[in-house]
Amino acid sequence: MITPEILTITILDILFFLFGSIGFVIAVKIVLFYDASATTHRQYTLEKQSYLSATIIKFLLLFKTLSFLFFIYTLNKLSNFLPGAMCAAGVVNALKIGTPLLLLKILNLYIFAFWIVLHNEDLEYEKQPYLKVKFLFYIFAYFLLLSEIVLELNYFYLLDSSSVVDCCGSIFSTTDGSYMAYLLSLDFSYQLGAFYLLFVVMVFFYLLKNRYLFALANLLFVIVSLITLISFFGTYIYELPTHHCPFCLLQSDYNYIGYFLYLFLFLGTFNGISLGLLAFEKERQKKKYISALIFNTLYLLCVSYFPLAYYIKNGMWL
Amino acid sequence: MIRLEGVTKEFDGGVIALSDINLELREGEVVVLKGVSGSGKSTILALIAGLSKPTQGRVIVDGKEVSKLPDHFCATFRRENVGIIFQRYNLIPDLSVSDNILLPLYPANMPKEILLERLEKELKAYHIEDKKDAVVKNLSGGQQQRVAIARANVNNPKIILADEPTANLDEKLSREFIEILKELKSQKRTIIVATHDPLFFELDFVDRFITIAHGKIVDDNT
Amino acid sequence: MTLFFLSSTISYELSQKVKNMPDITLTQMRAGREAFVKEAMVDAVLEIEGVTHAYTYIKAPYRFKDDTLFEVVGVDPFESFYDPFINTLLEQNTLESGSMLISKDVAEKLLKAYYTKDFNFITPSGELKNLKIAATFATEQKPQYRWLVLMSKEDAREVFALQADEATTLAVDVANKLEVPLVANKLQELYPNAKVVTKKEQQLTYENIFNFQSGTFLTLFSVTLMTFFIILYDKLSGVSSEEKREIGILKAIGWRIEDVLSAKFYEAFFIAVFAYLSGLVLAYLFVFYAKAPLLGNIFLHDILLRSEQFVLEPHIEFFYLFLVFLLVVPLYFAAVIIPSWRVATLDADEVMR
Repeated sequence: MITPEILTITILDILFFLFGSIGFVIAVKIVLFYDASATTHRQYTLEKQSYLSATIIKFLLLFKTLSFLFFIYTLNKLSNFLPGAMCAAGVVNALKIGTPLLLLKILNLYIFAFWIVLHNEDLEYEKQPYLKVKFLFYIFAYFLLLSEIVLELNYFYLLDSSSVVDCCGSIFSTTDGSYMAYLLSLDFSYQLGAFYLLFVVMVFFYLLKNRYLFALANLLFVIVSLITLISFFGTYIYELPTHHCPFCLLQSDYNYIGYFLYLFLFLGTFNGISLGLLAFEKERQKKKYISALIFNTLYLLCVSYFPLAYYIKNGMWL
Repeated sequence: MIRLEGVTKEFDGGVIALSDINLELREGEVVVLKGVSGSGKSTILALIAGLSKPTQGRVIVDGKEVSKLPDHFCATFRRENVGIIFQRYNLIPDLSVSDNILLPLYPANMPKEILLERLEKELKAYHIEDKKDAVVKNLSGGQQQRVAIARANVNNPKIILADEPTANLDEKLSREFIEILKELKSQKRTIIVATHDPLFFELDFVDRFITIAHGKIVDDNT
Repeated sequence: MTLFFLSSTISYELSQKVKNMPDITLTQMRAGREAFVKEAMVDAVLEIEGVTHAYTYIKAPYRFKDDTLFEVVGVDPFESFYDPFINTLLEQNTLESGSMLISKDVAEKLLKAYYTKDFNFITPSGELKNLKIAATFATEQKPQYRWLVLMSKEDAREVFALQADEATTLAVDVANKLEVPLVANKLQELYPNAKVVTKKEQQLTYENIFNFQSGTFLTLFSVTLMTFFIILYDKLSGVSSEEKREIGILKAIGWRIEDVLSAKFYEAFFIAVFAYLSGLVLAYLFVFYAKAPLLGNIFLHDILLRSEQFVLEPHIEFFYLFLVFLLVVPLYFAAVIIPSWRVATLDADEVMR
C-alpha cells in the first residue's frame, strides 16, 4: 500500500538513516582515535567532526519527535482504510511487529533525548569527561535507530488494506486470553494503589536525595502510569467503562488530552530517569529533580481529575 | 600572563609558520611584534587567541592551556578575555554600528540592560554616539576603525590583540589610533600589536619590541 | 501542497455526499444493466428485523434538447427522503401531482425555450407529459443539485414510461448501524440478482477511485520532490567567500561553533517556514480561486464527473499540512546541516592572515 503518508515516512526514514550513518561513522572514529592530548591533523578533524555528529543527533531527535506524532496520526488515518479498525490501536495490532515497533519508537525517544542531556553535560567541563561515553552510547543508539527504521518500513509495506483487524474495543477487552486481558481483569484498586504509592515514594526519595532510587521510582512510574491509564483512568476520560484504548485519547473528540498527558509523563519521567544515569553538577541536578517532580505531578493531577470530576458530577463511580 | 613553550605551527601544505617559539609576556605589557608580512607574527596572535592550535608545544594564557582547550571553551575564553582588532577592521558591513559592537556579547545571553550599558560606554569612549544606528558600510575608514576598537573592547578583555591595525589608515588616523592604544594601556590591559608600520617603532609607552623573521624570534628588546 | 489541497477537498466532498446516503441502497440488475425495483419489495424488506424505514424513489437523467442532462428525482412527497436538501425542499413547498420543483439553472434553460409556467417532457414512447412549475429553488452553490427537477413518483413514472409499481432504487435505513452488514446480507439472499450497496461500501468505492488516482499523482509528486532536491543542492553547495570571512570574524570575537550553528539554523528555519507558508498561500489561491487549472483535470476523472459535479469548497485537512511540513522542513534542514557545519568549523585564523 503506497499512500502519501507512507511515502513521507519512507522519505524521512531514508533521511534518518543517511544522517544517522554519518553520525555513526564519526562516532566510531572518535571512540577509536580521539586523543585530547594529540596535536595531529587527525585529532583536529575529529574535534570538528564531533560537532557535526552532535548536530546530526539533535536534528534526529527534533524530527524524530515530529515524525513520531506523524506516525500516530498516520495510524489513526489508516484506521479508516483497514476494515475493522476504529483507531490507531487496531492498526498497530494489524501486524505482529506493530507493538514492538511502537515500543521501540518510544524507547528511542528516551534514548536520543538522553543523548542530548549527556552531550550538554559533557560540554560543561573543559576536560569533556563523557566524550567517549557519549559516542559509545550513540553507537548503541544507532543500532536501535536502524532496527526501528527496518521494522517501520517492513511494517508499512507489509500492511495491506485487506487484512482484517480488531478495533480497540476487542484488543483492550477483558474477556480474551491475552496479557492485556489479564492486566485489565486484575482488580484495579491494587494498580491504583501502586500508582499513588509510587508517586509518594518518589517524593520521599527526592527528600532523601537518592538519585538512583528516584530514577528507579520514575521508571516504575512510567509503567504503572500506562497500565492504570489503560485500565482505569482511560475509562473515565471516555466516560465509558469498556473503553480502554490509549490511542483514542489523541483524537479531537477528547480535546487532544492524550498529547498533554503523554508529554507530561515523558518530561517528568525522562528527567527523573536521567538523574539516575548521570551525576549532574549540583545546580543542574536540582533543576532536574524539580522538573521531574513538576511534570509527574501535572500528570498525576490531570489523570486524577477525570474520575473525580465524574464522581462529583454523577455522584457515583463508573 | 601569556606563555608560549616550544611552539611550532605547521600549516596543512607543510609550510612551517613558527618553529620552537618560547615567549613570556607579563600582565599590562604593551608589546610590538615586528616583522615583514608572512614572518609568522599573525600566527602568534592567532595561537594566543586560541583561534588555531599549535602543531607542537603549549600556549598558556592566564593559567589556562589554550592550546588544549576544546573549541567550545576556547570561544568562551576569547569572549571573556580577548579583544581583537583586525587589519581590515573586519566588521560585518550590513549591520549597524551598535550591532557590530555588541556582536561578541550576543551568544552570552546577557540581560538587555547590561548590553545597552556596555554599548553606551563604548559609543561614548570612541565618539560615535551619533552613528549608533548607521550601517557600517556607509562609514568612513576612521569611523570604522573606531567601531572595530569599540567592538574589541566591549567585553572588557584582559588582552587586546591588534593585527596590522594601521595598514589601512593614513598617518593622521594612525596617530589617533596610537592615542587610543595609550589610553587602553592606562586601563591596565595587556596589548600585543603585530605590525610593520614604522610609526610604532619609536613609541615611548611600548614596553617591548620583538622582531620575528621566518618563524623565529630574532630580536627581543625591552 | 496544491495536490493535497485538491485531494483533501475532493475526498471531503465525497465523504459529505456519502454521509447523507441511506444505509443501504438496492438496485435490480438485468442483462448487466440496472433495472427497476418493484414497489412490493418495500413490504418484504420491512419484514427484515432491524429495518426501520424502506422506500423507493426514481432518480434518472432526462436529456434536454441541447444535451443538458436534467436530474429528475421522483419521490413520495409525504415520506422523508435521505437527502436533507431535497427534504427541506419538500417541507417548504407543496408538491402536487402534475407539478414540479426546478432549480434556478433549469428554470433559465426552460426560459430560453420560452417555457415559463410549465414544461412538456417527451416520454420514451414519444408522447408529451406536461408538468406545471410549482416553484424554483436556489442550489446554494451545490453543483450536484444544479440540474435537479423534483416531482412526484407518479409523474416521474410517466416521464420515463415506468410501470405503476416500478422505481429505480430502493433505500433502506437500519436502526442499529452495526447491523447494516447483516441486513445487507439478508437483502442479498432475498434478491440474489440485486445489487446491494451499503454506505460503507460506497465510501470505500469512492476512496478506491481516489487511491487509483493517487498512483497518477505519485509520479507528479516524485517529480516535484526531485526538483526540490536539485534546487536545494544548487543553493547550498556553494558558500561564498564573503560568508566565510564573516563567520571567521564571529568566531574570532568569541562565538562558539554551536553559536554559529544555531544562528545558521535559525536562518534555515525562517527560510524553510517562509517557503512553506508562501507555498501554502499560493496553493490555496491556485486551488480555490483559480480552480486549479490542468491539475484539477487529473483528479476529477470522468468517472466522478459524469455522476457528480464539484465546486471546490475550501476544506483543508491539518494532517496534510503537517505531511507537507514534514517533507519540506526536515529536507531543508538536512541539506543545510553539512554546509553549515563546514562553515562553522572553518579555521578562524584565516581572518588573521
